[in-house]
Amino acid sequence: MKSSIARIVELHSRSFGVPAHERIVLPNGLTLLIVPRRELPLVAFQLLLRGGALGDPVGRAGVASLTAGLLDKGAGERDAAAFAHSVEGAGGSFAASAGPECISVSGQFLAHDQELMLELLADAVMAPRFAAAEFARQRLRQIGHIRSLKDSDPSELLSQYGRGLLFRDHPYGQPATGGEDSLQAITLRDVIAYHRAHIGADGAALVLAGDIDAAWLKVQVTRRFGAWGPAAAALPAVAPTVKLRRRRVLLVDAPGSAQSYFWLGATGLDRAYPRRAALDLVNSLFGGRFTSLLNTELRIRTGLSYGAGSGFTRGRVAGEFAIRSYAETRHTVRAIDLALKTLAGLKRAGISQAMLDSARSYVVGQYPMNLETAADWAAQLAELELYGLDAGYIEGYGPALRRASLQDAREVIDQAFPLGRQLALVVIGDAAQVRARLERYGPVQQLALAAGSFT
Amino acid sequence: MNRPGLPPLPRRLSAPAVHAPARVPGQAAVRSQVLENGLKIIVWSDHSIPSVALHNWVRVGSRNEVPGLTGLAHFFEHMMFNGTARHGAGEFDRLMEAQGGSNNAFTCDDVTVYQDWFPRGALDLVFELEADRIQGLSLDPALIESERGVVHSERLLRVEDNNAGYLSEQVQAEAFLVHPYRFPTIGLPADIKSWTAQDLWAFYRTYYAPNNQTIVLVGDVSHEEAFALARRHLAKLPRQPQPPAILVREPEQLGERRVVVRRAAQMALLQYAYKAPAAADPLGPALNLLLTALTDGNASRLHRLLVEQRMIAQDVAAEWHQGFDPSLCWFWFTLAEGVDPHTARDLIDAELAGIAAAGIDAADLQRAGNLNAAAFWKQLATIDGKAHLLGEFEALRGGWQQLFQAPARHAEVTREQIAAAARLLLNPRRRTVGMLLPQAQGES
Repeated sequence: MKSSIARIVELHSRSFGVPAHERIVLPNGLTLLIVPRRELPLVAFQLLLRGGALGDPVGRAGVASLTAGLLDKGAGERDAAAFAHSVEGAGGSFAASAGPECISVSGQFLAHDQELMLELLADAVMAPRFAAAEFARQRLRQIGHIRSLKDSDPSELLSQYGRGLLFRDHPYGQPATGGEDSLQAITLRDVIAYHRAHIGADGAALVLAGDIDAAWLKVQVTRRFGAWGPAAAALPAVAPTVKLRRRRVLLVDAPGSAQSYFWLGATGLDRAYPRRAALDLVNSLFGGRFTSLLNTELRIRTGLSYGAGSGFTRGRVAGEFAIRSYAETRHTVRAIDLALKTLAGLKRAGISQAMLDSARSYVVGQYPMNLETAADWAAQLAELELYGLDAGYIEGYGPALRRASLQDAREVIDQAFPLGRQLALVVIGDAAQVRARLERYGPVQQLALAAGSFT
Repeated sequence: MNRPGLPPLPRRLSAPAVHAPARVPGQAAVRSQVLENGLKIIVWSDHSIPSVALHNWVRVGSRNEVPGLTGLAHFFEHMMFNGTARHGAGEFDRLMEAQGGSNNAFTCDDVTVYQDWFPRGALDLVFELEADRIQGLSLDPALIESERGVVHSERLLRVEDNNAGYLSEQVQAEAFLVHPYRFPTIGLPADIKSWTAQDLWAFYRTYYAPNNQTIVLVGDVSHEEAFALARRHLAKLPRQPQPPAILVREPEQLGERRVVVRRAAQMALLQYAYKAPAAADPLGPALNLLLTALTDGNASRLHRLLVEQRMIAQDVAAEWHQGFDPSLCWFWFTLAEGVDPHTARDLIDAELAGIAAAGIDAADLQRAGNLNAAAFWKQLATIDGKAHLLGEFEALRGGWQQLFQAPARHAEVTREQIAAAARLLLNPRRRTVGMLLPQAQGES
């Protein structure tokens, strides 16, 4: 086996290009990107509306999320049922959801239905009906969704608890999905006010990718979206987040839980962080691939857990770095200690050249499969628009991965990976079994899993 | 049309006109070869990205298990990553990742599938690693013990700490009297603790024969290159006796069965498991479209009635488990808070009885047809999706060539055929009903 790492990197540098596309800004501020790709008779769209949960009023976490959920529940000439029939009758898909910093509306249609697709999309964002009965149903469903996760997959809620503990009153500490109590407090008036204040052409970026005719599409988009006005309010500001100086511990009591599901998080980095390539390399070594240090310790070497991993959420300001894993209740402390020890080991000993080279091959080798389809590109280009980044973010990534040195890795480890005292720890588990043993990590706050809030 | 049966267990951590079916591009880019030892290789050459997906379909799953050794096929899948005489423990993943590849595997009732995704420069390495573990596994006793812990944790995640998973396991066990489809693929807790190295060796020798596997490659590789690699690395594996056929036939179910579970929960659950035909049954396309009409999307019949109009359910979903033998078609209902599952059952049963009697209308058929076609095209958009479809059609539906007929087969389905499929499927005497009733904390 001769294939050297350098050769593989060379071979794939062509993957770090951005496909040919057009970018125009309509007079009303709507940014439009068109990416023709003709392999299959499909067209994907991704519409990003800046603001997201940052626009949620205090105490009403979930307004953006409810607004997003209601966009297709009746719009323009169609009520909710007619809208669903139009989408699905054409074999299309249409989904909207809110994240911390934007509402994302995305979907895919067969190519010959793209006119219908544009009509539905324009109606959904410009003329949603917000009918009272649909609002009541949607709110109930979103509350029910959280409760059903608590019954059948509580680990899916770790990051909501974790961000609440780490960022508290900062907007990043509010769950974008809302909590059960905060959703209950939201009224239809909140949703209508959110739509007026935060959804408008000036904050929107629309990417259309697939089997399309660019000239025809530009005319159609201008016709459908040209009259869309601006959002009434300015883009919500977001203050910087800060690092913890003392550890925080939250125990979410799930009586009878067979395992403890845990999250160790700290304030991390923002989207503009310049050492992105080195960061991805180090995180893939620490908790981003199967042989990562974390998975090696918690799964491969000890058999404590089915899995362990880590990742960075980078927003307009620094989001979180988080480690996630789980273990049988009686091994809770052993597993958390092992995760902490692995992090401390990374901070102390760093990584070797051989590890860096392996990570480089891995990140480069996997990259093309993350941007394979028209829908992948629609999502990627929309994300660049959201954070004001250009094609250089992608085109520069390959060369930056190639250049990243041990010194870069060392700096990333020092800057981005937290010290033990800067961590917030969330454990979802059986308090009767684990509470006393968690005191060693710091003063323990306790919340019932059934409680209606994540903090 | 790709309904993969009960959720497989991954090794690691988702009114326009009816459109005439488009021709599926790519058939000319697919070629297959069978080596002398019986191993079949299917190659779809596709140079759209510089990557390759390799899937190895092994025709063994929990269907091949016996009481006391449930979960063995899935556990064995885990052990396939734990070292050979040539490459020590962990080397498989370390070598593959160092050349840019990643991998995973899943086990279900009928098959075990190993998947590698890698840059084309790693082709030789991946073939070497796959050939090596098919013949030279170590099955180190210390690693067996540690992997037991991993699978135990996986079971706690998916079953013990998951109300929906817990109820499904009970329903599945009740739905079959004798067929091994009654076993949970993850394995029962006592079995996970007790299987031995001897059990694993016997399993390996019996099922990991070249003549019991099919390798699918899709991506930046030519046919000649792929066949040459297969010959070089895999032709030397000796052909083995065909694994024993599973001859168990589940007797006809003559009446509804019921399971009621009480657990700590906020939401009640209701699950139906109807007896359903095998994957290769000619009714397949009609059954796929029936299920799409009933539960896929906000405009589907059951979603409209239960979630939108009556607000008694949080979610509805359905899945036909497609295996070698007749198995189950599942309906899952997460009920809205405070809804009594008995009330929900009566309402759902009235709706399903109406569908069994009258079928679905033309608009529902058109909607189902177009949704189905779109899902098919979406899956064809990636090398991994293509590899999965080729493997599935080859293993379960009469050969990979059938993949290219799938859109036409579905476009031909008539309302009469859907009505016939509904009458056959939605027979309450041939189903098992599971209910999970919330129990207040401390109640026993």
